[in-house]
Order: sequence, then C-alpha cells, then structure tokens
Amino acid sequence: MVTHEEILKIAKLAKLSVSADELVALTKDMSEIIGFADTINAVSSADSDFDSVNNLSNVFREDVVVPSYDREEILKNAESQDDGYFLVKKRA
Amino acid sequence: MINYELVSGLETHIELSTKTKIFCSCSTEFGGEPNTHCCPVCIGLPGTLPKLNEKVVEYAIMAGLATNCEISPISKMDRKNYVYPDLPKAYQISQYDMPLCKNGYIELSNGRKIRILRIHIEEDAGKLIHQRGNTYVDYNRGGVPLIEIVSEPDIRSIEEAKEYLEKLQLIMRYIGISDVKMQEGSLRCDVNISVRPEGTETLGTRTEIKNMNSFTHMAKAMDYEVSRQIDLLQSGETVVQETRRYNEADGCTESMRGKEDAHDYRYFREPDLVTIHVSDEQIERLRKKLPEPPIVKLNRYMNEFGLPETDAQLLIKYRNIADYFEAAINDISTPKTVANCMIGQIFSRLDGDGAKENFQVKVTPENLNALVKLLESGKIKMNLLKATLEKMLDTGKAASELISESDMGGIDEETLKGLCAKAIADNQSAVADYLSGKEKALKAILGAVMKATRGRADAVEAEKLLIELIRQ
Amino acid sequence: MDSFGKIKKLSEQMASKQISCVELTKQYVEAIESDNDKLNAYVKSTSDVAMETAKRVDKKIASGEKLLPLEGIPMTLKDNISTKGIETTCCSKILKGYVPIYSATVWEILQNQNAVLLGKTNMDEFAMGSSCETSCFGGALNPHDFSRVAGGSSGGVASAVGGNLAVYGLGSDTGGSIRQPASFCGLTGLKPTYGAISRYGLIAYASSFDQIGPITTSVEDAALVYDAISLYDERDSTSRGKAAAPASESLNKSIKGMKIGIAKEYLDGIRDDVNDAIQKAIKVYESLGAEIVYFDMPSLKYSLAVYYILACAEASSNLGRYDGIRYGYKTAHYADREEMICKTRSEGFGDEVKRRILLGTYVLSAGYYDAYYKKAQNLRGTLIQAYKDAFQKCDVILAPTVPMTAFPLNFSSKDPVETYLTDICTVPVNIAGLPGVSIPCGFGNDGLPIGMQLIGNSFCEATILNAAYQYETAAGKTAFRAVDMGVRL
Repeated sequence: MVTHEEILKIAKLAKLSVSADELVALTKDMSEIIGFADTINAVSSADSDFDSVNNLSNVFREDVVVPSYDREEILKNAESQDDGYFLVKKRA
Repeated sequence: MINYELVSGLETHIELSTKTKIFCSCSTEFGGEPNTHCCPVCIGLPGTLPKLNEKVVEYAIMAGLATNCEISPISKMDRKNYVYPDLPKAYQISQYDMPLCKNGYIELSNGRKIRILRIHIEEDAGKLIHQRGNTYVDYNRGGVPLIEIVSEPDIRSIEEAKEYLEKLQLIMRYIGISDVKMQEGSLRCDVNISVRPEGTETLGTRTEIKNMNSFTHMAKAMDYEVSRQIDLLQSGETVVQETRRYNEADGCTESMRGKEDAHDYRYFREPDLVTIHVSDEQIERLRKKLPEPPIVKLNRYMNEFGLPETDAQLLIKYRNIADYFEAAINDISTPKTVANCMIGQIFSRLDGDGAKENFQVKVTPENLNALVKLLESGKIKMNLLKATLEKMLDTGKAASELISESDMGGIDEETLKGLCAKAIADNQSAVADYLSGKEKALKAILGAVMKATRGRADAVEAEKLLIELIRQ
Repeated sequence: MDSFGKIKKLSEQMASKQISCVELTKQYVEAIESDNDKLNAYVKSTSDVAMETAKRVDKKIASGEKLLPLEGIPMTLKDNISTKGIETTCCSKILKGYVPIYSATVWEILQNQNAVLLGKTNMDEFAMGSSCETSCFGGALNPHDFSRVAGGSSGGVASAVGGNLAVYGLGSDTGGSIRQPASFCGLTGLKPTYGAISRYGLIAYASSFDQIGPITTSVEDAALVYDAISLYDERDSTSRGKAAAPASESLNKSIKGMKIGIAKEYLDGIRDDVNDAIQKAIKVYESLGAEIVYFDMPSLKYSLAVYYILACAEASSNLGRYDGIRYGYKTAHYADREEMICKTRSEGFGDEVKRRILLGTYVLSAGYYDAYYKKAQNLRGTLIQAYKDAFQKCDVILAPTVPMTAFPLNFSSKDPVETYLTDICTVPVNIAGLPGVSIPCGFGNDGLPIGMQLIGNSFCEATILNAAYQYETAAGKTAFRAVDMGVRL
C-alpha cells in the first residue's frame, strides 16, 4: 500500500503538483499499479549483467565542428525570450 | 583543550579543450553571443539523441594516465536526473558506477600521496543569469565536456589542498587537455571538509563548499569553515552535513540548505548510448602521447642542470616555456645561463600569466642558444650578452646581426686602464661622492666605462680597476 | 482493386500515367476532408505539402525518370515523429504549438523519395496508452466499427490506413503500439528489430523499447516501407541499419520446412474466438508445409511487469524536459519558478502520462531501485535469453497479437492495470528488441478483426515477412474485409 505522503514525495521529485482532490484517487491508482509491478518479486532472478538490447559498443563521433543552428531557430518555440536568452520570468 | 585536525577531499571539474561538445558537434568556443553555439541535441529538443565525442574519451584516459589511475576496460554512461533550467533534458549524462578511470594519486612535496578515487566524463550545463528575480538562460556552455576528478579525503591542511589543486592544474595543462583556468571556469573545485580530534580515526561530519573561483578563495573558505566547525564542536553542538556557499564579500561560508534539498538523482544507465570498451592498445598509444610529467621535468631541471627549485618551478609552469627552454639549451654547457636570461630579461617583457603561458617572444630559442654559446666560447662577456639580448628582444634579430666582429674579443687590460682613467677624470664629482662613502656613485663611473667600450669590457674587471685607480 | 499490395500497383499506375500523382493525392485529400470527422484519425492535415510533393512527382514522371519504390505514395506519420516546420504534438497539450526545427531521419528518408505526406495522425498522449483515447484530441475510431477504438498508441495511423485515408503510415511501437492497432483494424503492422530504424527525431517514450514501423493493408507494402527506412543513421548511437538483402524480395519463398514455434504461455487467457482464429492459422501453416513446434516460455508471464517498470522509468526521465522554458505549453500564472514548472507539467500532461511518470520515478527512487528497476533489468536479460533459446527450436514464433478484439470506447479509462494486461502478447517482443509483425487472421464473434503475430530473431524481418506473406496469400480474403469509406482503389 502506497501512502499519500509517498505519492506527494514522488510527485515532487517528478515536478508534478497533486491537488488534495486528486490525491485520493491518484494514490489508489498508483497503489494498484505498484502492486502490479510488485509481481516481479515472485520471480527469482540472477544478476544477468544486462548490457543493452543490441550489444553495440564504441559508437563515437569525430571532434569536428559543424555550424550551430541560427539563434532565431533555437529560440523559435520559446514562449518568452529576451535579448537572445531564454527567459523565465520571476512570476506571472 | 582538544586539538582538531582538518580532513578534506576535493571534487574538481575540468572543462576539456575539445573543439566540439561532448554529445553534439557544436563548437565549444568560449564567449559568443548567447545561444549561438546550440543545436537541437544540446538544447534537448524532443526526439534528439546524443553521440559521444571520441576525443573526450581520449582526453579523459590521458588525464587518468597522468594521475596514475587504472583505466577501466569497460565503462558506460548514466543519466543523473534533476530539474534546473540550465539542464535542458532535466538529466545530465554522466558516469555513475563505472567511471573511465579509478584509483590514481597525486604526490605532494611533503611526500604524502593524495589518492584519486575516480575520474569520469560528463556534460556541462548551460549558464543562468539572475536579474531582478528573472532567470535568463544561455545554453552555449550546455554540453561542453567535463571530467570530474574526485579525491579521497586524504588532505590534511589548507596548504596541501592548494598544492594538490595546483599540481592537478599543472598536469592537466601539460597534457594539453584543458586551459584549467579557475577564473574562466575551466577549472572548478568543490571542497569537502570536516574536522576531528587529532589522533582519532573516525571521520567527522563533513560539509561541501561550493562557489570558490580562485585559490585564495578556496584557502579562505577552508580556513573559515574549519574554524566554524571547531567552534560548533567545542560549544557542544554538532556539524550539520550540508552544502555551503562561499561568500566572497564577507569571506565566510553560508548554508545552502533549502536551496539544495537532498537530491535523489535516480541514476540509471543511459539507453541512448552504448558501452565504452577501452583496449590495452589504445591505452598504450595514449600513454606514448603524454609529455614528460611536470614533476619529472622539475627534478631533471634541478638535478641535471643544477637549477635552484624556484627557477625550475618557473620554467616548468607552462609547456611553452619548458619547450622553449629545452630547445634553447641544446648543446649548451651552462643551462643556468639560459635559465637566467629567460627568467630575468625575457620574463620581464611578459605581462601576466596569460602572456607567460603563450610565451610569444621575438627571440627564438635557437637565437638565444647562439647568443649564450658566444658567451661560453669567450667571444663576448656577460654585459654584452645582456645588452644584446635586450636588442634581440626589441628587434627579433639574431645575435650575429647585432654584434660585429670587432665587438667580440673584449678589451685588453692596457686599453681598459686608459678608459678607466679617462672616466675617472671626466666624473670627478662622482669620484668625490664615492670617496665620501656613497658606494653607488661608482656605478655611474662604471657606466661611462661600459659605454665607452660599447659593453665589450668585463664589468667586474672594470669595476676592480676603477677602485684601484681611485684609491691611488 | 485487390486489397493486397497497393504501393507497387499505384506506383505502376502513376509511371504508366494511368493516374497522375496529383489526381491520386487529391482523392485522398478530399476523402480526408469528408471522412476524417467520422474517424478522428488525422489531427493535422498537410494537404498543401502533399499537393506540392505530388506536383513534383508528376514532373519527374513527365521527364521520363524512374520512380523510387515509395515515390508519390500518399501516406501519414504518427504525430510523435518530428517534421521540420510542421507542428508535432504527440497529441499532448504540453506540445501544442511546438514546431520542430529539424526532421526525424525517417521523414528525411521518405522526403527524399517524395513521399506524399497527407497529415499527422492521432495517438495516445506521448504514446502511452492502448486505445488512442489518452490523446488530447480525443481517440481515433475503428473503421470497422465506430463504437470501437482503433487501438493504441498508433491508433490514428491504423484508423487512417484502415479507413482508406492513407496508403500507409509510420507509427511507433514501444509495447505493441503498432501491432495492436493493426490487429484491431485488420491491418499489417510491423515492429522492426530494435536498431533497424533510426530513432532520431522520434519523440521518446521509452528509449530502449521504441521503434518506428509501418502500418499497411498488406505484407508486401509493409516490406517495401521497411526496406526504404531501415538505413543506418549516424545520429542515432543505437542504430544498426538492416541486414543485407531487402525483405520485399524474399516474400515469395516457400516456407516448406519452416519451423513455426508456439509458446504455450502466449495462448493463456485469450478469448475463445481469438484462440480459434489462431488455431485455424496454425492449420494454414501446416498446409503450407511448415512444421509446428510447441514449447514453454515461463518468463513470458512476468514480462508485463518488467515492461511497465523499465518503460516507465525511461519515460519519467525522457519527459522531465517538458517545463515550458524552451518550447511547448507554459502555465499562465505562477508565483515562482518551481511553481511554474509543476503547474505547467500538471496542466500540460494527461492522467495516464502522469501515472506513468510517477511509476517511473518511484521505481528509480532511492530505496526502490534495487527491488524494481534493477530486478526488472535482470529479468529483461533472462527473457532475452529465453527468446534466444526458443529460436534454437524454431524459425519464427506465432502468437496472438491481442487476447481480444478492439475495445469499446472508454473501456480503457476504467482501470489502468486491466488495460495494461491486454499488452501481454506484444510487450515481450519489445523487451527483447526483436522484430514482430501483426497480420489479420480472422474475425471475432463480434465481427471485429483478429490479429496474429509472427515474431522473429534479431534482424530476421525477411523471415517473418516471408511467413506472413505466405499466410496472407493462402488465407486470401478470409482474413480481410474491405472498409467502405475513404479512397476506394
């Protein structure tokens, strides 16, 4: 059983806010979901040293400069910017 | 009254001087208008993927070899998850439990070894500017490659900390992987520090100090923090484990509690990158590429060339100077002379550390070599050498262009005596001053003699003669 | 027109000037205008881009140049594939208005073949869901029955292709998101081997599971699209590109003697009518000379939990970047930066996405990492080995795609875990990074399409497509039903 406190703690880590209304239903859902995840406890497993799905290694890039994108493009999708910077206003 | 000792370890971040960022091909050039060295990868646009710069791995291995580390044959990248505006993906790609290098050390002058626990590679974050509560973000620096060097808590004094960091800086500069300039941010240091009663083994609670951007600040911060911790313990209180910020203006450390709540970084293996295998072959190839370590060079300069330690330190400090020196002493029997020329006259032409590091001088090492050989073969005397060197520094010309045949060979005693007598006759007031006890007045007369001989005379000999003649 | 193999036929028709690319495209554009409302398959029309491309293709035809295999074919992309200059939202409020400044590699490859992009299609938000209903635009409907979902998360692609509003589409599959909607809509859906298709530009859900793949009305079309897009991409460090020979050239090979494996666990708990369809398909394979091999794969039983733990862990990290600062939705009112970020994310993400982010954060957090994430990674290794062992005994594995037919609308929202359980047949394939193709193999008692999967060893797309093609040819129209809407070719 997952507690409200745990849900709030995890939500904070994940930068999600949970209102008091939402908390009850969310805790219930998450308890069920985590309970479902718990089913792997029933299985024993050896340390499988799982590396990666496709066993590749040493994939590298050469240290050669490629021109960067225009600043206009980089800032294009930002909701607020100022003087070439991304801007996070103190409050809104 | 309990005496406390300080226990400290350093976490050092070094910006690598590769041409491109660690996971994309944007330039790492310093400066530049904000957000002009960016691309979809380094600003973390949805759907983008990282690709590892091979030079970063090479440089990190070189750093490990130069600090006596073991190079891990297998290592991987991990995600360190946390939210901050300077981190566009909300995770930093770093290395958690399988770093590239482990178990090295730096040896201090007192013979103690400061062990290096690990060296790993990671990406730098962007820059934040806070103004009137607003946050301005520039991602140019985001993705610049870093190595993080973590020492064991082996440091026992502020001097040791300074020396450790200086040696680290010197080594990294030497192997050419970074500019390692604290003021520019290519060398950053966080200090972990605790105190314990002298003679005890258990470590006290440590604090971490951040935000020191010079060696002096680091020393001041450590000094303040040690006192602060001792005060707490002596008044029966406990030291809280926390991160503290060095306050430059007040010279103290301040708690950052509240701003830096305990982070749960939720490290897990980076799925977008693959395993790094380092072969013995590659390690050997890189080992051969390393230059002579500064400490070995220092000892060689002292033992082989008989240079005093202070002079040797000055010459090894920057690769360009050491390389110049070694070129200039080719076939020379008195390296000390070359050293003196460099440390005296040449250095005085260079303003500041930056100039010394670049060591752009008009005199080539070959030309300095030729000049000193003239002295060694007796063709010129020391003061002519010095005068000529000044001219060479001004004009860039070789000694052979500046000294004529007739200048070489010095002056015979008869001629010298005559010139001395004339100088005495011409400078009676100076002679009178000298006789009344003003030793310095002799220099003026000597100057006149040297001028008349166009520097060819041996100054020491001339001075002896003058004194003799005056006494008569 | 024969419903099988549309791409080659259309290509031939255009090359021989029986129909111009502009005419063909116009038909699709008009069909979308009139029929998309019924299906909610498309979330964005790109008809201007489509018509421009079509004109270019016609010019090429006029000059006598030979057409590339996919040239001029009207198609669609799931809305998590980045298209430069065209809004890409992942059907999430948090990316509404986001216009990528670069294109996904697969889209660049297709653009080079003058693929005619009709629009971007609907999906579960950030590819998290099995019904398309977590989309901020509402779900896409099943062309066979509008009271049923098209499936998820590539529901929009399946709905469009199944409703004849596109010849083919590219979806993405993390736990079944190509195969399940293909199964629900009576289509062919291929999830390639992990690494076969570049992920560069695919907006990430779970990085070590995601793969892009085609949804088509025939196996041949799926093979043609796969061949075109399975190229090595240097921008993707996990990219391997493809095996040597094109899959579309070995479809006709006889499968006599091919060993078709059935893992008993795959048949546990599936609906009777689905089981019947599978058994019939087995008979068809036997008649084609294949050898049926039965075996156990007990590790399949915990694969769902392993999937959800690992995929959500990766997702929680991949979705951390959505904070409104550089792109996307930003909350209107806040008192400080922390509040800005939390409110932006809480307002921008839907419930299912939030649940998965929370689960992912939980299983990676201090104190839980070993019991969940690390353990799941170990079990992943075990499952990969189990498949390796299985492929010692057989050439392809046959399994149902989904234990049932298309859900009714709103079935999913009732109980998250119950919905997760429906992924039981598809998820193991993603865990192992293997290729899997779903093809229609019959109809349920409710008249809805049933799909079966052919799962192959690493980079054996040619093998599974060969087996699929042979079945398709042998089973003929019995497994397929035309839908009376859209462009009837």
